[in-house]
Amino acid sequence: MQQWLTKQVHNIVSWARRKSPWILHFNSGGCNGCDIEILDLLTPRYDVERLGILKEASPRHADILICTGPVTRQSRDRLRQIYEQIPEPKWVVAVGSCSCSGGVFQGGHNILGGVENVLPVDIYIPGCPCRPEAIIDGLAQLLETIT
Amino acid sequence: MALINLLFFPGFTFLFMCALFFEWLDRRIIARFQERVGPPWFQPLADFIKLLAKEDIVPSGAHAKAAALLPMFSLTAVLTAGLYVPVGNVVTASFEGDLIVVLFLLSLPALGYFLAGWTSVGVYSLIGGHRSLLQYFSYEVPFLMAVASPAILSGSWRIASIAAYQSQTTWGALMQPLGFILAIIGLIGKLKRDPLDIPKAKSEVVAGSLTDFSGRKIALWHLSIYIQTVVGIFLLVNLFLGGSSHQSLFVALPIFGLKALGILILLSMISVLYARLRIDQLANLGWRVLAPLALIQLLVTIWSGG
Repeated sequence: MQQWLTKQVHNIVSWARRKSPWILHFNSGGCNGCDIEILDLLTPRYDVERLGILKEASPRHADILICTGPVTRQSRDRLRQIYEQIPEPKWVVAVGSCSCSGGVFQGGHNILGGVENVLPVDIYIPGCPCRPEAIIDGLAQLLETIT
Repeated sequence: MALINLLFFPGFTFLFMCALFFEWLDRRIIARFQERVGPPWFQPLADFIKLLAKEDIVPSGAHAKAAALLPMFSLTAVLTAGLYVPVGNVVTASFEGDLIVVLFLLSLPALGYFLAGWTSVGVYSLIGGHRSLLQYFSYEVPFLMAVASPAILSGSWRIASIAAYQSQTTWGALMQPLGFILAIIGLIGKLKRDPLDIPKAKSEVVAGSLTDFSGRKIALWHLSIYIQTVVGIFLLVNLFLGGSSHQSLFVALPIFGLKALGILILLSMISVLYARLRIDQLANLGWRVLAPLALIQLLVTIWSGG
């Protein structure tokens, strides 16, 4: 009985997590291309609020950290700090080629590479810049893994 | 019977469902006005459950007890206010002067919001708290004067009697259109809704007082703000739209619901239409325009033989 109840509560909670992912967006040193594509998600054409996605301003309210751009030496600590401010459970999405691997900035004297060098990344969405459809698809695939 | 009133109708469960429904409708209407689709009907419930199940972080330096107690404090205040506001023809608790008690209970969340910002360490929460206090001083005086005029007109400070008086004569919004407009503006300020969302402006102070809260604290804050919306709208329906005092509950409730939805749609349209004011603009507006207008409304009501 108790086991069944625990399972039901778990199911309800993971349903809620799938249906209400609030995102926080952080650019750790990119060219601003992917950021504009992320803002596209909120426009009438793509409207991710119908999937329950809200763009939050404070990391303490967010569930998913969306990173764009390569990680520079200067932004590394801030990125880590912002990640640690997000309450558990949390997920990280790397959006754009630079965020996935460092992209064209790879090997630069001030570049550490992709986000994976600093944070555990849950899903990579490549593209330069990636299309809004690709970002929505990536987020949907991430949400499917939440059980 | 009292327990049923407290827990189910028109107590906690009813107000909770109304809050979720109003939040969904509000977001949906705003989305439709912006040519978006908007969230599905279960969205506020999913948000609430998800936030309840999230990790609860208290930043070092913040006052942990205050952070935990303040959302409950404001939730309690607005739920108690909900008990004194008649819904349809259901009057749960009522006495001469309950309008003053409701107004007091509805303004307590402003204090809680300010203290929440004051006791957390963040800079943004501090600015948000200060702004909310300044905003409170700007909208509350015109709001109180606007809400007092129907009470003076009907000669009673009991919400149920004011609504009954208006259902015998005519709507307060028709007799005192100026007071109705001022009350709507005051309600927007009270709820920190869009044109007056100065204390929690995303692009300026992140999330105001609530910046550093997470998990169930933010869930309770959201809930208390939306229950405040529900109770505030119900109050205005009783004071300015004549409430609904039909004999049968099944006629009175839908009429009351339609009037409440009317005010909600009005609030949503206003938040789509207007851009946010600066805090100094609001203080100017409140003291130079709204307060004198409210005073005129009050004097006209008194002279016209209330």
